[in-house]
Amino acid sequence: MLKRLVVVMFMLTFLAVQGVQPHAQNNTLLIWADTNRIQVLEGLTEQFTAKFGVDVVLQEKDFGAIRDDMIVANPAGEGPDIAIGAHDWTGQLVANGVIEPLAFLQNDRSLYDPVALEAWSIGADIYALPYATEAIALIRNTDLIPDEPATFEDLLTVAKDLTDKEAGTFGILINAFAPDPFHSFPFISTFGGYIFGKNEDGSLNACDIGLGSEGAIEGATFLRSLIDDGFVPAATGYGDMTGQFNAGKVGAIITGPWAIADARNAGINFAVSKIPTIKGNTPGPFVGSQGFMINSFSNNKELAVTFLQEFLGITSTQVALFNVGDRAPALLSALAEVSDDPTLAAFAASAADGSPMPNIPEMSSVWGAWGDALSLVSSGESDPATAFTDAAARIRDTLGCN
Amino acid sequence: MSANIIKVVFLGLTNALGIWAATGLYVTSNWVLLIVLVAGLVLLDIALLKKNAYPLRYLLPGLLAFGLMTFYPIVYNIAIAFSNFSTGHILSKEQVIHHFENVYYQPEGADRFSSQAFRDGDRWLLILRSQTNGNLFLGLDGELIPLDPNDARLLYENGDIIAFNAMTPLAVRDLVANLDVLRSLTFSEGENTVRLASLREYRAEKRRYAYDPGTEKLLNLETQITYVPIQGTFTSADGEMLDPGYRVNVGWENFQRIFQNRQIIGPFWRVFGWTIIFAFFSVTLTFALGLGLAIMLNNPYLKLRTIYRTLLIIPYAIPGFISLLIWAGLFNTNFGLINQFFDFWFQFKIPWFQDGLWAKVAVLFVNLWLGYPYMMIVCLGALQSIPSELYEAAHVDGAKSFQRFWGITIPLLLSSISPLLVGSFALNFNNFNVIFLLTQGGPPVAGAQTPAGATDILISYTYNLAFAMGRGQEFGLAAAISIIIFLIIGTISALQFRMTKKLEDIGENL
Repeated sequence: MLKRLVVVMFMLTFLAVQGVQPHAQNNTLLIWADTNRIQVLEGLTEQFTAKFGVDVVLQEKDFGAIRDDMIVANPAGEGPDIAIGAHDWTGQLVANGVIEPLAFLQNDRSLYDPVALEAWSIGADIYALPYATEAIALIRNTDLIPDEPATFEDLLTVAKDLTDKEAGTFGILINAFAPDPFHSFPFISTFGGYIFGKNEDGSLNACDIGLGSEGAIEGATFLRSLIDDGFVPAATGYGDMTGQFNAGKVGAIITGPWAIADARNAGINFAVSKIPTIKGNTPGPFVGSQGFMINSFSNNKELAVTFLQEFLGITSTQVALFNVGDRAPALLSALAEVSDDPTLAAFAASAADGSPMPNIPEMSSVWGAWGDALSLVSSGESDPATAFTDAAARIRDTLGCN
Repeated sequence: MSANIIKVVFLGLTNALGIWAATGLYVTSNWVLLIVLVAGLVLLDIALLKKNAYPLRYLLPGLLAFGLMTFYPIVYNIAIAFSNFSTGHILSKEQVIHHFENVYYQPEGADRFSSQAFRDGDRWLLILRSQTNGNLFLGLDGELIPLDPNDARLLYENGDIIAFNAMTPLAVRDLVANLDVLRSLTFSEGENTVRLASLREYRAEKRRYAYDPGTEKLLNLETQITYVPIQGTFTSADGEMLDPGYRVNVGWENFQRIFQNRQIIGPFWRVFGWTIIFAFFSVTLTFALGLGLAIMLNNPYLKLRTIYRTLLIIPYAIPGFISLLIWAGLFNTNFGLINQFFDFWFQFKIPWFQDGLWAKVAVLFVNLWLGYPYMMIVCLGALQSIPSELYEAAHVDGAKSFQRFWGITIPLLLSSISPLLVGSFALNFNNFNVIFLLTQGGPPVAGAQTPAGATDILISYTYNLAFAMGRGQEFGLAAAISIIIFLIIGTISALQFRMTKKLEDIGENL
């Protein structure tokens, strides 16, 4: 009986071991993309396979999970050859050595929006082929505010008449105090505030924190005055801002292209324009960029580069991605093709005044401290100067700058 | 007979599966998991094959689950706590060295070429056209030989080369099939190397780094700066650090950092104090409410008891994640339902998540809502175990219901429920979900130099330290802090078990 048992087990083991093969993924490309982008990629991958005879596997992933998954999967050999992503992931991914710089883009610089390329750059290397840029701008309900305000002060004058606590209507809603540092940046930058200063070679200096600067404090003071003057209830969150806007109860909000789909579906008549000048200064929002990255542990880098060059860096693809994502294309020829859309033109104009969100990994330390400073300013526990100076000191402390 | 067949098949399949997994683990050098797996397999074989190891069969599933789900993660956690596993130190040393050895840059004046490949029997040759000046080159045997565009061997059609020396260039599909060969074709152009860049492009590049395995030094060939590995990062004499670094054992450094860094250790006592208060009140309030409801439901004269019981269990049945997010919405300061109620009846709105005190109240209230059904069910069961003769005897002796409650119910109840209360305390000590989903650690404390908010408990504070500080994703630091939290809660629980042992004497002689 035992002998039979042993024989059976050996046979099964032998069969099982045959299943152990090295992961030879030659001539298959794996691409990670989110639901919206996959629709556009499907047609392209079929063309790629037809032309080059290489299988392409599209894997749908949650956008927010791609960065952390790449950090784990790429070194283990399980990562995608190409993945979509947001530019602020660049620092962390490069620090972990999991994405590849794209040398061919150095020669194609003139074809792309320079802000998008800057957003994806660390030093002189560009780490993705950009397909979109986004920035926040003023979205106003044309039934309540028919004319584009020339200055922010004009906007506030119109908003004052619309703000009625009893009826629950607001002239303008800002969610900066939620706390949402990303949405508060235009107010900080308009007075000269910044996050990280720049070195001579253009790279970011992680120890030069601009949140404690005069400009940032002036911006925070201005934001606080919006609460004090009764325009914006403290602690208005993103959901509150967009929810009330889509219910037709708000004259204007400041947010990005991702919000207009809901407004469209809610039947709101809206128009987008640049954030109006504040005390004569032009507000510059954060600019974000999305692009396609290549895995540095990939066995098929040359094929991935070919796919990027011939199928993703072309006008038709970038326009198709714009159609599903509502974000300005990064390829200049594609941008020219769709620029007759007034909404897009306004977001693009807003982005032109903006600066890319810092992409270095030290940015992780900034969000928390900045958000806390905004919370303290909105609850009134601290005045803007103390709160922001403390935040800057805290960030410097965390990064070991002193 | 059939039992034997089942045993043989089961053992065969499990061993085959285990060996297949073990080879995979061996290939990826996952030693700890490999040892656990092999130990489990050996135990399984002994348990099922040896006659006198029969009792082991009943322990085995539990032992295997313990090994894989509890023991292995703890050992892995401890291993990480002594390493520098964090952003910039995710890779292994070999991977990092391989990375640096494959960094190429394009020097000034480096050329790029579009390529066509030709196969002459076993020999491969390329025709490369420079993208900067249009010059043609023949790539053969590692050399770039200038080619005259009017060379007789070239055949053109519409400006494109369609044949060289009567050979036609390879079609794209053939290029893909021969990618390895194309990669191996390199040519020298002065000091640069011309290598494959994409399917039909070659580029002149230079290697940036040279690694010396003997001295473990990395030399930047462009700037001539030497980098030495210090704690997993290649550092120059000036202190310039290169990315990526690698994962390496750093001994007690994470623990030292915790105790010496003012930012990390500063708010410790405040956060620890609130964690104890939060856990204590969570247990006490949920127990009180659960017991009260259980006593009411135990009353035989109460009509519709089963319906009440079903309705009261609902908070336990809804997944915590969903109910927490809904509660966060209900507590919304400006538009939430609770503040609308207060605004309507009392004309003021409570700053729920903006004020430290109110945030704590909100967090405790929601935890009470989430936790009371569990206590209610437990008490319902435990109340049944108290003999009713005791109550009748007390009633006969003239004891009032208040005295009956404190004299009989509480002592006997506590003797059976105290382990659950200790467990509930330990659970709420580390109740990350409630804090994170409701307040994310809560309104910040003014003047604090730290990421610890008003409602931060130790574990949510750890999360902020590990993932929202430094360069993000400081796994080593988080693992070290979690070991310290484990020691704290382990000590507290041990003390609590000691104290509740006394209660058990009361129930022993019944």
